[in-house]
Amino acid sequence: MLASLSYREKSLYASLVSEIVVYGSYFFLHRQNTIDKVAGMIVSIIVLQIILQSLIAAFTRNRVTDERDKLIELRGYRAGYLMLCSLMVLGLGMLWFHATVGDLHLDSRMMGLHFLSVFFSMLVIADITKTATQILAYRKAL
Amino acid sequence: MPVIRNQIRELRAAREMTQQDLADQVGVTRQTVIAIEQDKYSPSLETAFKVAIALGVPIEKCFQYDPRGKR
Repeated sequence: MLASLSYREKSLYASLVSEIVVYGSYFFLHRQNTIDKVAGMIVSIIVLQIILQSLIAAFTRNRVTDERDKLIELRGYRAGYLMLCSLMVLGLGMLWFHATVGDLHLDSRMMGLHFLSVFFSMLVIADITKTATQILAYRKAL
Repeated sequence: MPVIRNQIRELRAAREMTQQDLADQVGVTRQTVIAIEQDKYSPSLETAFKVAIALGVPIEKCFQYDPRGKR
């Protein structure tokens, strides 16, 4: 199956796997998160991506990308952007609601981590949406 | 029926050219050639001309526009 995939597709599968592996732990261990863990996760996704992408580049002879790859990339970015905007509107709406009702009792020491978690989650979900949309487009031939 | 139809598969077969050969000549991936042949992707005008040149035929022999087709 791997041989039938283009360079871009292999690269996308590697990105999706590394995103799910690294970010998955972030979502499942949300309550135990600290700033250090979030920073560690960002470093680990970068390192994992560099290793996987280097391996794919090393073992793929034909690394041609063309107009269809660009089109699929744009579709992915559009889906990711729409997801990010939707989540941002939802997040702002929830903040507004809690601020209006007045039941937002956040520990000031944890406030930064809470907001970091929320914004980071939005970015992660948007990024996974982008990658998944691109893979789907490749699977459907476009 | 798609809006843009093509005869690339037949023309390629007549020249005993593989999908990879055509992809290399046109400068696209083999997956893109497959997508074009299956009418799932309509290439840009530039790529369409390159395909026609690679197959040695006028562009209208390769690609046809069907105004009643569905995208």
